[in-house]
Amino acid sequence: MMRTRDLSYWLFLAPVLLALSMVVIIPLVFGIYYSFTNWNGIEVGSFVGLKNYLAILDDKEFLDSMWFTVKFSVVSIILINFFGLSLALIVTSKIKSNKFLRTIFFMPNLIGGLILGFIWQFIFIKVFAGIGSVFGIQSLEGWLSTTQTGFWGLVILMSWQMSGYIMVIYIAYLEGVPGELIEAAEIDGASPFQRLRYIIFPLVAPAFTVSMFLTLSNTFKLYDQNLSLTGGGPYNSTQMVAMEIFKTAFTESEMAYAQAKAVIFFVIVAVISLTQVYINKKREVEM
Amino acid sequence: MNKKKLFSGIGAGILSLSLLLTGCGNADKGSSNESSKGNVTIDVFQFKVEFKKQFETVAKKYEQEHKGVKINITTVGGGEDYGAALKSKFASGKEPAIYNIGGPQDVEDWQKKLADLSDTEASKAALKGTLDGVSKDGKILGLPYNQEGYGLIYNKAVFEKAGIDAKSIKSYADLEKAVKTLDSKKKDLGLEAVFALPGKETWVTGLHLSNAFLAPEFDNNVLNAYNAKKVDFKYGDAFKKVLDLQNDYSVQPTVSLDYSKQVEELFSLQKVALIQQGNWVYGSIEGIDKEFAQKGIGILPIPVEGYKEDAIPVGIPMYWGVNSNKDKATVTEAKKFLDWLYTSDEGKEAVINDFKFIPAYDGFDASKISDPLSKEIYQYAQDGKTIGWTFMGYPTGWGQNELGVQIQKYLSKEAKWEDVVKTTQAAWEKSRNK
Repeated sequence: MMRTRDLSYWLFLAPVLLALSMVVIIPLVFGIYYSFTNWNGIEVGSFVGLKNYLAILDDKEFLDSMWFTVKFSVVSIILINFFGLSLALIVTSKIKSNKFLRTIFFMPNLIGGLILGFIWQFIFIKVFAGIGSVFGIQSLEGWLSTTQTGFWGLVILMSWQMSGYIMVIYIAYLEGVPGELIEAAEIDGASPFQRLRYIIFPLVAPAFTVSMFLTLSNTFKLYDQNLSLTGGGPYNSTQMVAMEIFKTAFTESEMAYAQAKAVIFFVIVAVISLTQVYINKKREVEM
Repeated sequence: MNKKKLFSGIGAGILSLSLLLTGCGNADKGSSNESSKGNVTIDVFQFKVEFKKQFETVAKKYEQEHKGVKINITTVGGGEDYGAALKSKFASGKEPAIYNIGGPQDVEDWQKKLADLSDTEASKAALKGTLDGVSKDGKILGLPYNQEGYGLIYNKAVFEKAGIDAKSIKSYADLEKAVKTLDSKKKDLGLEAVFALPGKETWVTGLHLSNAFLAPEFDNNVLNAYNAKKVDFKYGDAFKKVLDLQNDYSVQPTVSLDYSKQVEELFSLQKVALIQQGNWVYGSIEGIDKEFAQKGIGILPIPVEGYKEDAIPVGIPMYWGVNSNKDKATVTEAKKFLDWLYTSDEGKEAVINDFKFIPAYDGFDASKISDPLSKEIYQYAQDGKTIGWTFMGYPTGWGQNELGVQIQKYLSKEAKWEDVVKTTQAAWEKSRNK
């Protein structure tokens, strides 16, 4: 496999390497460096060692937002993958207009997160309340004004937006399932559920890996939808980590401290994502 | 094979070179622009979106009269976004010549990049006390924009219909009575509720409302607040009363009620009778109902029981600062521009008529103030019935992220008032003792 790496190899790689190091690697290194200082965004002060990192341990707001993010991610990952797979199964079945439906399901993904947030804010606050007051359903009123409704609001928004995208990935794998396998199973008398469980699922396992990875990293790092839908309110109880870090950095002007939080956040996301991919990859092989 | 490799090598080389070159090309353009022909370019980076257009027009006029001076205005709106944008502007190396600072904390953070403005005409004309927050070591580092005031803006027609004389409301008890009267007649008056309290906007509760009750304990001086090691909530009970009054008689749920719903949807369309806001909402109301804005609204004081019950908090929202890192010519021209704006006849006229500012300087003809809210606030200021603005002296982020958030918690009934006070007091002390 190892080929000689001559000049042209590196030259071809150079633009990418240059771009990558300029926008990813150098900022990352700088970021880690800043997290050990008392930088306030205007000038770098002195080196403070691990002080910023130690302060995080008893920063209740950060830990709360972390916990909220974890809860949100778990629920969203399950729902997005469930809806994504369901939609994919629907549009790959032999119903009419399945091409058209694919487009429709994918559409929400084309709208920017901020705008989506505002659209859904309108739906939750105005439309829900309107329906609630007409039919006398109390639980539909006052959405986004409590932690519970804020949480589910975010989950609904995210599922609505990302399911279509995940659907596309599942479609690709579902269409790759050989027809003769399904046919053979059918002849052997497997029920539709059995076909799904024992033939289709194992064959689309790689899609799970990809989808899980995408949903995981997307939901963990969510910012724009969070900002426009709830803005962290009420009382910062629906504030996710990315937003908390932004606030620390720009409204409290504690750049270095926020940087330390960001480094920790980065490590957590990286560890979870990589573990997830590793475990799922292993499963794929076994199957 | 070898030839092929050579070509691909050259191709790749060109690719990477072009990447480098485009980077340099941009940088070249930037620097040549600035130094061309000995002209001076003043980059202004400011936060007030409301008067962006008018400000740009005035700057054009200034350019025409002063050949060789070019003014570039960039506007980034909204309090918290501005701070972030300014920092990235400085970090990018394209430092503006004139930018905005808010108060003592900004002065502290930016002092190495702020020029002394005590030699300007405008600094001499500035109203007494307005420069307190931006003076340091005998230097004046900022010039006030304008004055702003806030209170309880009310709907005159609704008050009249309910038989309430707004002028007679001079204390908390009067206000409470009026609110109860309005509430009992709200069906006939076509109101959804008496108040609209925007709990979502932490600046309304955590900065503005709180200021009315905290300023007295800091002697109405922003520097005292800035230097205070702790906050007592001396008028905390009065604070709670006004907050409760606004919340109990508000459109619910208050926690998710935001600025646009409060001002545009509810107040401008006359679904509520009272909102706690300032003269800056005039433009929004005018945009929806011109006649209502011009004739139908007035402002009531926020009553602070035990202190002043008939005073309006009036203060300076932002200051102009001049970047001392710029070359001498630019700094001088920047100062000249600010002087022109606030002390020349033309500038003054623009400030009052076009910007619709309540002037923070001497030598203005106040009778020309056009909108009713500003007029009333100016009158309160003339009568000395004011409370200072001290929230710029709160610890960074305290007002909105601590107090505002705790108030949201209180409004959602997740916290008691005592907890709000205790938590925020602790946060104040913690950030002061860092």
